[in-house]
Amino acid sequence: MHIPDGFIDGKTAVVTGVISAVGVGFALRQVQRELPPRKVPLLGLAAAFLFAAQMVNFPVAGGTSGHLVGGTLVAALLGPSAAVVVVTTILIVQCFLFQDGGVTALGANIFNMAIINSAAGYAVYRLVGRWLKGLRGQVTAIGFAAWCATVLAAICCAGQLTWSGTIPWSVAFPAMTTVHMLIGIGEGLISALVFLAVSSARPDLIAETTPTGRPQRLGELVGYGLLITLGIAVFVAPFACSWPDGLDSVAEKFGFSHKTMAVLPAPAPDYQIPGIHWAVGATAMAGVIGCLVVFGLALLMGRWLVPKLKEP
Amino acid sequence: MHRLSARPKLGAALVIIAGTVILPIRWHAWFITAAAMLVLTMGLSRLPLFFVLKRLLLLSPFVLGVVLINAFQPAGRTNWLVVAVKSGLCLFTVVLVSNTTPFSQILRVLRSLRGPALLITTMALMHRYLFVLADETERMRRARAARTFTRGRRFEWRTLATVVGQLFIRASERAERIYNAMCARGWK
Amino acid sequence: MNAIEVTNLKYRYHDGTEALRGVSFRILPGECVALLGPNGSGKSTILLHLNGILPEKPSGDGTVRILDQTVAPQNIENIRRQVGLVFQDPDDQLFCPTVQEDIAFGPQQLGCNDRDVAARVEKALAQVGLAGFGHRATHHLSHGEKRRACLAGVLACAPAILILDEPTSDLDPRGRREFKGLLREIPATKLIATHDLELAVELCSKAIVLDHGQIIADGPTMELLSNEELMLAHGLECPHILRHRHPH
Repeated sequence: MHIPDGFIDGKTAVVTGVISAVGVGFALRQVQRELPPRKVPLLGLAAAFLFAAQMVNFPVAGGTSGHLVGGTLVAALLGPSAAVVVVTTILIVQCFLFQDGGVTALGANIFNMAIINSAAGYAVYRLVGRWLKGLRGQVTAIGFAAWCATVLAAICCAGQLTWSGTIPWSVAFPAMTTVHMLIGIGEGLISALVFLAVSSARPDLIAETTPTGRPQRLGELVGYGLLITLGIAVFVAPFACSWPDGLDSVAEKFGFSHKTMAVLPAPAPDYQIPGIHWAVGATAMAGVIGCLVVFGLALLMGRWLVPKLKEP
Repeated sequence: MHRLSARPKLGAALVIIAGTVILPIRWHAWFITAAAMLVLTMGLSRLPLFFVLKRLLLLSPFVLGVVLINAFQPAGRTNWLVVAVKSGLCLFTVVLVSNTTPFSQILRVLRSLRGPALLITTMALMHRYLFVLADETERMRRARAARTFTRGRRFEWRTLATVVGQLFIRASERAERIYNAMCARGWK
Repeated sequence: MNAIEVTNLKYRYHDGTEALRGVSFRILPGECVALLGPNGSGKSTILLHLNGILPEKPSGDGTVRILDQTVAPQNIENIRRQVGLVFQDPDDQLFCPTVQEDIAFGPQQLGCNDRDVAARVEKALAQVGLAGFGHRATHHLSHGEKRRACLAGVLACAPAILILDEPTSDLDPRGRREFKGLLREIPATKLIATHDLELAVELCSKAIVLDHGQIIADGPTMELLSNEELMLAHGLECPHILRHRHPH
């Protein structure tokens, strides 16, 4: 999901740059406050680790293979702010050294892959982990969280591309979202497997780096939450809200009408839930169903990977 | 070109990239001048043409996707060309800078610009240990493959995940040793 | 005054295994001493106590005195100025991107000004035979060059005591010979933990044999290493150099 130069325009670059700078600055301050001095080299090494891990090919079908992105995984292992710093480092080095992702797009890429993947992923991971206990719960949580983070990042990416005028929302949103819903499954599975491998061999590495139930974490997450909400408000909301109309105009251009475009059976030709357009409703429903399905898959995966015997 | 100090190179690169992204395509003069300058720089730095072209043409599926989508849009065709030109120019710039400037120099410039110390240290350590860890990954993968007699994607995923997990553990342990080495030479 | 004085040192790992069970020894200024023992005997653990890296929390299990100063949290900085530790894995120690930056690290931490730092770096590079290597990237060096760069990085701090953890492991015969030659020239007090028994015989007047966290023997190198029974009993062996009286 590395956006190259030229795919996002000046204003988007500036806005994403500012939001990301605030986010990364916040993360750096948190890390300096929380991380004991002996862990400082760990940030650099974790960045090198994640970079090397991203190059590992997980074969899928035919010649294709999946790769780990890893923001959520690193957040689960080191904490959300450390993960933001780690992924940001990787993105900067990838941009300059490997031309993977553009210089002007750094703001957007950092927002999508460092901030959302790490912070939003971590929030979902802790939320689900609080509800499902034990190692099995953690494995399930991280799988689901990684998927959510991937999809959310994809949605924001689509928004940024639309705002830049590179591709219209009506195409960007479904394309990015569906593709990343699939990619997210791979990400979730790999993250869960790696998390399990680490916790089986060195559970102390996880326990000491993710202290449970600390009130400070809440403040941290609130900070990121605000930033992410701002991002969504700027990049996604404007398009998502006007999308139904956009979809209508696209439909008219191609000669379809409202009736033939109906996805859900409507009791009347111009059926409308007061205040909610059917297109938004349909999308929301699809989204919720998707989440539930993936959550179910995550539960099954947890059950499969962590047999009853391993429960403490 | 290789011996020129990093600051002017980075500065010039940033100007070219920013200009290319912001200015509308109508300003032909800018794009043509920039392209000419880049080609001249490539000549001066004696980077092999094939090498540069190879880097430029490395298209990610993401880029391909966007290109394809635009190709099918009614207004898309010119749009796509604009994006391709801008993107290509910027990529060319970055390829030239990164291949004529050692990374340690780039870091030094960032340090002199008072960038956040923790981030720069992390980048330095990452760059230093990138190849060490990549080597370790390769060795572990090969060792695993040598002992694998079962086929099947499921088993391979588990094996690869174990390798990645081991890599994290080794990276953590190495980080601990590096901290000791830093302290031994007086780091506070 | 003793250069290094260790009294009844004990240490336990996190999982409870005893690494050191009451180790005591003394090293005089100017001596070159070999620390021998099989893998897992506790050699590295002892070395990490000599500049205060271990114990992580002061536990009062034995004392370490360096040049008549007890190693304690309040004077660790001072101790580390006097003790230069060369680690086992050169990749752990060479953490800077270029050789010059890495060797400059120590002097910079000591507070030297830029000119002084540059002078020390030059001198250290020349001492280890790496003159002109300043601008090389650390990850591009050969194994032997890395080991020499590590030594240079420590020498640049001009420590009174030099401690080396397995300095010649993984080196080819030429690398080993060259490194031994380098060590011979350095006038500091030296403690070398090693499996290279030939090195022990050639460079070290005294040897300490460690096994299972306890000191088994402490005395002149020749005497200890010719004692076949002692060597074999503790995971070592008599080096060929003593068995065959080879001219080298």
